[in-house]
Amino acid sequence: MMNKLIFGRYIPGDSIIHRLDPRAKLVASFYFIAIIFLANNWQSYLCLGIFTFVAILLSKINLRFFFRGVRPLIWLILFTVILQILFTRGGTLYWSWGVFSLSEYGIQNGLFIFCRFILIIFMSTLLTLTTPPLSMSDAIESLLRPLHVLHVPVHEIALMLSIALRFVPTLMDETEKIMNAQRARGVDFGEGSLIQKVKAVVPLLIPLFVSSFNRAEDLATAMEARGYRGGEGRSKYRILKWSNRDSGVIVVFVIVTIGLIVLRT
Amino acid sequence: MVMDIRFEQVNFVYQPDTPFEQRALYAVDLTIKEGSYTALVGHTGSGKSTLLQHLNALLKPTGGKVLIGDRTITPETDNKNLKPIRKKVGIVFQFPEAQLFEETVAKDIAFGPQNFGVSQEEALGLAKEKLELVGLDDSFLERSPFELSGGQMRRVAIAGVLAMEPEVLVLDEPTAGLDPAGRKEMMEIFWRLHKEKKMTIVLVTHLMDDVANFADYVYVLEKGNVVRHGSPQDVFQDVDWLKEKQLGVPAASEFAEKMQAKGARFEQLPLTEEELADWILQQSGGVAYDE
Repeated sequence: MMNKLIFGRYIPGDSIIHRLDPRAKLVASFYFIAIIFLANNWQSYLCLGIFTFVAILLSKINLRFFFRGVRPLIWLILFTVILQILFTRGGTLYWSWGVFSLSEYGIQNGLFIFCRFILIIFMSTLLTLTTPPLSMSDAIESLLRPLHVLHVPVHEIALMLSIALRFVPTLMDETEKIMNAQRARGVDFGEGSLIQKVKAVVPLLIPLFVSSFNRAEDLATAMEARGYRGGEGRSKYRILKWSNRDSGVIVVFVIVTIGLIVLRT
Repeated sequence: MVMDIRFEQVNFVYQPDTPFEQRALYAVDLTIKEGSYTALVGHTGSGKSTLLQHLNALLKPTGGKVLIGDRTITPETDNKNLKPIRKKVGIVFQFPEAQLFEETVAKDIAFGPQNFGVSQEEALGLAKEKLELVGLDDSFLERSPFELSGGQMRRVAIAGVLAMEPEVLVLDEPTAGLDPAGRKEMMEIFWRLHKEKKMTIVLVTHLMDDVANFADYVYVLEKGNVVRHGSPQDVFQDVDWLKEKQLGVPAASEFAEKMQAKGARFEQLPLTEEELADWILQQSGGVAYDE
């Protein structure tokens, strides 16, 4: 079930994209999502498309996996696109029936939104496929550091984030195990009426919560035993290094942004 | 109906067609006869746990077929209607105490049977009976499973599987993490079920002494392949091979092997301490060991 999901997982590799500073990748991905909204015609979408495609090629990850990443979201995308197509009027009108219509602008808008979705999903899939979760949380900690001035507990947030990320796969395994154990005792997950489905989740959720509590207690004890006393005065083992490559990313993005501004109408 | 379980050229691949694809079983052929006590041994990651999830159709093979009694499970088998199989083949997973969830021990044990359509009163009756079987008294029935010790929780979880009254009992390292006394007691409970109730038992374990003491057939797995199978007597004769595979040897066999190096002559290496003691008595010209 869960293991079919590609989106949000990491594939180890050694491409130029893999080696980028996670901060650069994280900021670039957010920035990319923001500048997608600058695009408003074919030329600008083409420019973004080529850019994304080149980034994917550079990561040396099979393109197939990116399409798989889209798959779970395909209904949401199609639903939005169809709504756009049917409810936007303007330009040449090809067909209409009541509130529904098929118009030049509608089709154009629908296609643009489709491209936007695909590009955003591809870019964020690229981010997660090439960045190990722990680097990601390091990057977030590093980027949030300035907020320390505003008394935001940056270290604690980062710690919780990295513990949470570390335990996602463990909890997934645990879920799978408990699910199997309960199925062996005759539970049908995801079958029957809505009420039956909800009831079937209880034998899964309660053991999961209980084991999370136990795990949390054990982990806290183990951390204290190893001398953890909070973020004050700690040194770091993994140190992020900003290299010329990473500055290169900024340059590339500046060029793309200028290109988009020129191309947009 | 005969409840044999047979694997014919079973393949299994986790997450096929993804970057995380992982092959776990390679053309496995295996037979678990009704009423037998079969042991599965092998390293961690050799595919034992994958294999045992095929025994009650929690996993379906990605190639080949699994015959469970009169049912045939192939890659195309529908997920519906598998309940009768799950009732016949009970699995005690590793660290089964993680599956407890009800408010009381009684309700938790009764949960399994109730899922298979047993009435509540009957199921609670079963709970009482099975709790006694695993060595806990009635005072535990109304307690919360979460206030018990680890060992007691394990017993309750096992009682929960036994309450389904399966014909085949699959045990995945049932004694891992128990103290020696608890370990011995648990293994004796399973032995009694096998002897007295003619229950078919499939045991996955790393403890070769348990295999030597109880099993009548052994399958050795390595990297998803069955590399050797036969009676424990046959499999454990080749001590060097076992050591090379880092599988471990029963203590008695290992001791006998050392005696052999010093000049002792065995027709067949003894597997259990009783066999070894018998041999020593015979050698010293004494009376045959009698219980």
